[in-house]
Amino acid sequence: MNEEHRNRIAKLPLQALSRRDFLCRSCNGIGALALAGMLADELPAGTSAATGPPLPHSGRKAKHCIFMFMAGGVSHVDSFDYKPALQKLAGQELPPLSGLSGEIQGYLNKPHRVIPSAFEFKRYGQSGRAISSLFPRIGQCADDLAFVYGIEVENNNHGPATMHVTTGSQFQGSASVGSWVAYGLGSPNRNLPGYMVIQDPRGAPVNGAAVWGSGYLPAAYQGTVLRSSGAPILHLDLPGGVDRAQQRREFDLLHFLNSRHLDQRPGASELEARISAYELAYRMQASAPEAVDLSGESAQTRRLYGLDNPVTEGFGRQCLLARRMVERGVRYTLLVHGVEINKHSWDDHTNVEGRMRNHAAEVDLPVAGLLQDLKQRGLLEETLVVWASEMGRTPFLNDLESKTPGRDHNQFALVMWMAGGDVKGGATAGATDEFGVKALEEQIPLRDVHATILNLLGLDDRRLTYLHGGRFRRLTDIGGRVLHEIIG
Amino acid sequence: MDRPSPHSGPLRAAHRAWLIACLSAALLLTAGLPARASVDFQDQVLPILQESCLPCHDRHTRTSGFSVESLDTVLAGGARHGAAVMPGAPEQSPLSKVLRGEIEPRMPLGRTLSEDRIQLIEQWIGGLSANPQVDSPAEPYWAYVKPAAGTPPEVQGSSRIRNGIDAFMWKRLQEEGISPAPPASRRTLIRRLFFDLLGVPPEPAEVEAFVDDPSPIAYEALVDRLLADPRYGERWGRHWLDLARYADTNGYEGDPEYYHTWRYRDYVIDAFNGDKPYDLFVKEQLAGDEFFEMMSAGALPPPDPEKVVALTFLRLAPFTEPRGEEDRHVLLSEMTSTVGSVFLGLTVGCAQCHDHKYDLLPTRDFYRLKAFFATVQIDPPRPGDIQQLGGPQAASFLNPVRGERWERERAALEQQLQTTEKSFALFYEPLLERLKAYRMEAARDRLASPEPEPPTLKDLKKAIRDDQGYRKFSIEEHRQFSDFSHRVLRLKNAIERRKPLAMSLRNADGPPYGPNVSTTYVLERGQWNRKGEPVEPGFPGAIEGHSQPARIELDPFGRYPTRGRRLALAKWIASPENPLTARVMVNRLWQWHFGRGIVDTPSDFGKNGAAPTHPRLLDWLARELVERNWSLKAMHRLMVTSGAYRQSSLHSDPEATRIDPQNRYLWRFRRRRLEGEAVRDGILTASGRLNGDRSGPPVFPPLPRGLDKAQKVQGTNTWETMTGPRARKRSVYIFQRRSLSMPLMETFDAPVPNASCARRETSVSVLQALTMYDGEFVNEEARHFAERVKREGGPDPASRIRQAFRIALSRDPGPDETAGALRLLEESPSGEGLTALCRVLLNSNEFVYVD
Repeated sequence: MNEEHRNRIAKLPLQALSRRDFLCRSCNGIGALALAGMLADELPAGTSAATGPPLPHSGRKAKHCIFMFMAGGVSHVDSFDYKPALQKLAGQELPPLSGLSGEIQGYLNKPHRVIPSAFEFKRYGQSGRAISSLFPRIGQCADDLAFVYGIEVENNNHGPATMHVTTGSQFQGSASVGSWVAYGLGSPNRNLPGYMVIQDPRGAPVNGAAVWGSGYLPAAYQGTVLRSSGAPILHLDLPGGVDRAQQRREFDLLHFLNSRHLDQRPGASELEARISAYELAYRMQASAPEAVDLSGESAQTRRLYGLDNPVTEGFGRQCLLARRMVERGVRYTLLVHGVEINKHSWDDHTNVEGRMRNHAAEVDLPVAGLLQDLKQRGLLEETLVVWASEMGRTPFLNDLESKTPGRDHNQFALVMWMAGGDVKGGATAGATDEFGVKALEEQIPLRDVHATILNLLGLDDRRLTYLHGGRFRRLTDIGGRVLHEIIG
Repeated sequence: MDRPSPHSGPLRAAHRAWLIACLSAALLLTAGLPARASVDFQDQVLPILQESCLPCHDRHTRTSGFSVESLDTVLAGGARHGAAVMPGAPEQSPLSKVLRGEIEPRMPLGRTLSEDRIQLIEQWIGGLSANPQVDSPAEPYWAYVKPAAGTPPEVQGSSRIRNGIDAFMWKRLQEEGISPAPPASRRTLIRRLFFDLLGVPPEPAEVEAFVDDPSPIAYEALVDRLLADPRYGERWGRHWLDLARYADTNGYEGDPEYYHTWRYRDYVIDAFNGDKPYDLFVKEQLAGDEFFEMMSAGALPPPDPEKVVALTFLRLAPFTEPRGEEDRHVLLSEMTSTVGSVFLGLTVGCAQCHDHKYDLLPTRDFYRLKAFFATVQIDPPRPGDIQQLGGPQAASFLNPVRGERWERERAALEQQLQTTEKSFALFYEPLLERLKAYRMEAARDRLASPEPEPPTLKDLKKAIRDDQGYRKFSIEEHRQFSDFSHRVLRLKNAIERRKPLAMSLRNADGPPYGPNVSTTYVLERGQWNRKGEPVEPGFPGAIEGHSQPARIELDPFGRYPTRGRRLALAKWIASPENPLTARVMVNRLWQWHFGRGIVDTPSDFGKNGAAPTHPRLLDWLARELVERNWSLKAMHRLMVTSGAYRQSSLHSDPEATRIDPQNRYLWRFRRRRLEGEAVRDGILTASGRLNGDRSGPPVFPPLPRGLDKAQKVQGTNTWETMTGPRARKRSVYIFQRRSLSMPLMETFDAPVPNASCARRETSVSVLQALTMYDGEFVNEEARHFAERVKREGGPDPASRIRQAFRIALSRDPGPDETAGALRLLEESPSGEGLTALCRVLLNSNEFVYVD
């Protein structure tokens, strides 16, 4: 499928399809009405229903993705990247390392002191994956997880690094991974958007809404924030003094006025689309609250996600909601753990030991619960689960003077793991050197990870393009290498 | 073609690219006649290429500019290696070299073609006649040639030609065999004009007066009146702000506020209202600080404050915490790309890492353009400011009336701050005493000596934040402390915004107070630390015809070697000789008036952009702009008084639909979906509550419940929610936060201002419906709209309904609509009927789509 075609798909005219066809086959969940950029009656010549909606480029099992983003830069050497060599070097400087640049080299030029992880690592499962004692329950799932080590991010600071991980470019203004997935896969659900965002209940991450923005893709592909309290989607509650019957009366008049207006402007598909949008809104108001109503979840399930414990409740709720999104056909669910740069983010410049204990305690059980729950419901087969952060951290002290040791940023040693779909459990891609400073051999560029995520969802990163500003844009820009070593 | 090496000598990259283009084009002329073709291209070669090279090299992808779509495109070759085929010489042909891996990367990527297939292709190349005649140079690309002189064509038998535009338009339609639509009614026209020129709907009285106006030039008079209305600048300034990626914050971590960018927003609005000639507008934004000619000795006078404010344009990109040379490269590259696309419609940014894949823009030209900005300096942040913001420039308030207003307001705010800080101190001093006592106690418990320093306000703030169980301070004390802190912070922000400063930039000092101008290098693959060939500032070779350095005028004594670069660029851009500048701007105006540009890709006039639907009209308009002293208002007048603009949008013509289904030739007017700003301003106009106050620091209308809290930055709620009339100023004055859009604006496709936006999308979504029907804003205004209808419509329900339609839709309801509305009034809960009707009207398609 070529690019123009893809762009055209985003503007697929309603009139070319019967409405029912369109709703079922549309490229975007939110009302199936991504009539972006279309002017009255002015449809691309030759566009027809025969071209069909965007379809996956290759057969992959995963149809959904849950992307868990740990904001602030998770210390890889304290979590999933075991570096016993640091024990021997405790308190000393690292030997000279080649091939480094930027800030990391700057740190190494100064006096610095290695701190080994304060946590024990244990080997789990048949794969024998070494995982820190902070994540015992994720450890139990080790054989389902494939790890990618030594990922390089283009920038060593949170703002740009977060953009890079979530949108493929360190500069603001690109389309987020979820927008690309929603654009590429469309959504089978008419009552929920295809791309949902579940924020940390404590607030927004660095860069705010740019993290789930649609950039140059049409606005309909941006992430919709699922709210943690009140109505799950903004403006789902009826205005004061209006009940369902009154709403119906008003919508009937609205429909009458709009139909009369449309009759005088035959073939104006965007007007027709907006009429449908109100009907869909009417239905969504009825159905969406159910999607986030956790009262029907069993006590056992609630325990599985840690809803019974104040420490795990926050992220547990996010994880449980993510499973419910998957069940309802949402293509991409972004979970964010961590808020800006404060004590709730993984940005552990001081007291890395104590803070890591707190962060890990908040997520270990809910994440494992989600994996287990998806598995027992047969959903892990069709759901790609990704764990990510925006960077790794240094194996040496952030500040020699500090009384509470912490670690600085490290753009060369991001670790991510994936599970579900066609992911080969227990597999590994990439590796860091014995100190966890940088890749042992080749750094894995983020575009390779993004290409892999798209591939696991059946999308080809080189073919998923959008013409904008004189260029065919891609999530992976110049194209990534799919990490086949972690695909089963 | 190889990347230009540092030693490529006089044959510069642009020349080489040019030659290749000529050669390829010449080849095309003879390509249809391959001599002694023992291998048939169509039957034997093409299938192999298409099977192996698609989808990366189809007509649309054209990776590296190469496509295997047809014989012509295969011969034409690509951007990287030039001509793919050397007729008669397979061993020298890049195509066969690439297939054999003699040129990396080997193609098809990741695979190898079988030997017999490669041989077949080589056999075909060998059979082509060598030495094709290069006898006629290729036509230069239209957009790089100055607009052709020409008068509007003669059109026969059309009585509907109102001005030159129509001659071009009707002629084109005649050629297609289509008749233009009949003129729209006056009722339609006044609504169209109001939204188009002012961004708000007309009041019912204005509509009726215009409809009943007996004057034959009523329309022209209305156009003049609207162009003189200051709301015009607020409307059209907003279009420009889209291009300028205008925001009030910086983006990235913490998304800190640029306190003074609103001065630029006001500058833009004033420029449109004052009809500042476009060439001057361009020059001010690029080099306003360099206008002053230094012909003699003496100190460099400070630049005119208005021009300092204008330069804010160059600095509006989102910017992260600066970390050295790399970030300077990012900053200057963004400047270069944005200037290229906004003023010239050149996607020069594409050439930052590699030669442009579609246009004759070698990487080297990108860095030659970037060199014009090499002397730019952003001042370091002031003490206490956030590092990633950089520092402002002094720029006193120019407009005496307004300037006085900001000074006066600032003085009053300073007063308020003093008072507030005093009461705050009265409140917190006892708390500090208590904190001191707690500390002593704690030290005693630890058997340590107490801290020698008494606790500060900062310590208290931290202590209160850590006191989550309200053990040391009461809930009331927590609340008051936070309340006071917020008030102080808001006052400080309000004061800061009213200081006579601009978020602008200047030239670096230069010797002897600073280093000399730094050399600009071509950066390989766009990487800041991979320096290639040094370059001088220069204009794109494809337009200039040569790649000589630009002449930079220095002062006669050479005292200010950092001055003059940007002015040279500005003069070149804002020149009647530049083939792109005027064309690009008239095309933008056309797009904003007619819904689609003559070139449909308004910031890309390159080969990958759309071809103009009316090239001669575009040229004529471009020349008119220059001849009319670059007056944008003159161009507005020309466009909106044309017959093309006054056509009906309702016209239906099956034959025209068949011939031109996309209405590219404008055989009827294009219906327009209102932008978010116009929707909000239109709603406030209907409710009669739009605050017409102009200019000034940004405003913060209420956000939907919960949204502001979700956007806390470093624990502080940065959305300074306002209530009352201040919150109801026009949308162009709303605080533009890069990390958060107002949902109403967002669902109507307001861009997130991270990059220049040349054209807004018009999407339809369920969230838009939810926001319009359930949102607090629409509902509150619907109530006031209903109150207004009661006041103006009298007690009779039917006349109320008529007044509601007149306000919202500029027309009377039909009998069936009145009946439907009456039913709603009757069936709604008592007292709610009129609000319900107003809510429905604001939600109707007719309200947001203007004919």
